[in-house]
Amino acid sequence: MNSARLGFTSSSATEFFDLTERIRDQIARSGLRNGRVHLQSLHTTVGLAVNENEPLLLRDFETMLERLAPVGAGYEHDDFERRFDVPLDEPVNGHAHCRQILLSAFLTLLVEEGELVLGRWQSVFAVELDGPRQRQIAVQLDGDFARSQEALVEAELARQLLVDPEPVSAPMRRLVEAGGKRLRPRLVQLTAALGPRNDPLRAAELAAAVELLHNATLIHDDYVDESTHRRGRPTVAAAEGPERAIAVGDYYFAKATRLVAEMGNPAVTAAIAEALEAICASQIDDVALRGAYPGDRESYLRVIRGKTASLFSAACASGALIADASPEVVGALRRFGELLGTAFQMADDMVDFSPSSGKPLGLDIRQRVLSLPLIYAAEDRDVGPEVRRLLAGTLGDSEVGRVTELVNATDALTRVRREAQALVEAAVRELEAVELDGLRPTLVGLARSAVDRES
Amino acid sequence: MSVQLLDRELDRLHDLWTDGLSETYRVYLDSVRHFEPGVQEKLALAAALIEVGTRLQGLGSRAAPPTTLLMGDLCLARGSRLLADHAPLAVQVAFARAIETVSSAAASHQAAPPTRVLLQQSLGAAR
Repeated sequence: MNSARLGFTSSSATEFFDLTERIRDQIARSGLRNGRVHLQSLHTTVGLAVNENEPLLLRDFETMLERLAPVGAGYEHDDFERRFDVPLDEPVNGHAHCRQILLSAFLTLLVEEGELVLGRWQSVFAVELDGPRQRQIAVQLDGDFARSQEALVEAELARQLLVDPEPVSAPMRRLVEAGGKRLRPRLVQLTAALGPRNDPLRAAELAAAVELLHNATLIHDDYVDESTHRRGRPTVAAAEGPERAIAVGDYYFAKATRLVAEMGNPAVTAAIAEALEAICASQIDDVALRGAYPGDRESYLRVIRGKTASLFSAACASGALIADASPEVVGALRRFGELLGTAFQMADDMVDFSPSSGKPLGLDIRQRVLSLPLIYAAEDRDVGPEVRRLLAGTLGDSEVGRVTELVNATDALTRVRREAQALVEAAVRELEAVELDGLRPTLVGLARSAVDRES
Repeated sequence: MSVQLLDRELDRLHDLWTDGLSETYRVYLDSVRHFEPGVQEKLALAAALIEVGTRLQGLGSRAAPPTTLLMGDLCLARGSRLLADHAPLAVQVAFARAIETVSSAAASHQAAPPTRVLLQQSLGAAR
């Protein structure tokens, strides 16, 4: 399911707006192959119709509507003395309501093989009956999104890996094919739909480069953290040795930055380069802070802003930049990404304590990775001293199990969950002031699902 | 070029500067004369950071310990950001390709041209 809003501004009392091309754009943007587009007027004086876009015929329709429901024909709706709670700005528009009931408030159109199914002379109209005003039509697309935006990214990732030398591409392919949430590329694609130069293929190229860069940083992280598995498979360092891991990470770090540079948008190149620098700097802080494990909230926030939020923020900004979105939209999305990335990392920390996540419990504890639930548990008046004592010593299975128990016995996880949810709501508020061309529900849904998860 | 003008770019890297990075930087100054004044120093530093960064990581030899690897990563990222901010597109692409060459050779246990030679050639990509 994909939702959007089509807005328009009328300039006269009765006006026909041809929405056909905008609906086709929505279909292309969503990747819908076979299914339906549902349109619904959000107004009682705007109708929907399918007919021929021929100017004289449109005048005929207008004449017909005037004949069937003339202006000022003594409509009871216009007798304000007989109505209750009439607003001061209530228009005299009984005729417009009556005309609307002759049309329809909703339409369903078919989509086959990615094309809107219309006869040769058919166009889709929103009909203004009481203008001039600002109007909105709600749109939903459902059906088979087989060649979805996600599929475009997967195809682009596969294409890029295909041309690389086997010693570097094979380990990266294993990592990429093992899955991952693909949130960063999804953010690139969504935000790339918010500018006048929306090009799904170009967005997919940028999205794939961002995902390769993210994976390159993970390969080095896994060596630093001595992780043996990621996404259920052996890490590159564990399977092929640290030398290979360093080389593969460097190769894709370079390749991703080249792919971004070759897109020829200096602002995008700068946004991604700044994020990469922030990631690397925060990794140094992360490791340094492990000496005072579990650390404090302020240090934790500083680290995750660099380690996680910076690339979320850059993904959102660069998608919008590549599509030439306005500076206001780019700024709002950059802030949205930073808040969402911070919330995402907090939610990720909680997974370490969730038996239903499918991941080994207590992995972050064993690796002494900064974790907000641990910081809060260590501050707890009752269990804090024991948590700190355990974390200061050797962390075997029994110690990790006990720390997990203690964290679950406090309100640490509840606090972190609330904090992450509050950050998501703050992120959503960043979007309120900008025009998002109907993508607000999708972005908001993605943001909320990023923190309401078990794995 | 005074170090003060590069000070922001040396954040967290001052120890490296006194430990060999400054000499490497001076070597690259000869390869950037065809760029505008003001950009020359940034690009020479970018090249030096990338050369020193890959050396710190142990790319193509024995893997560095984790903390040293992270310092090498920061050098690469800082160099990459300097290129993004100051280098023509052709130079950015040439640098990336140079790193791709040395890292894929390292992954294949094959010899690659010296990093310095590749980076000096990359700086000439804008001519």
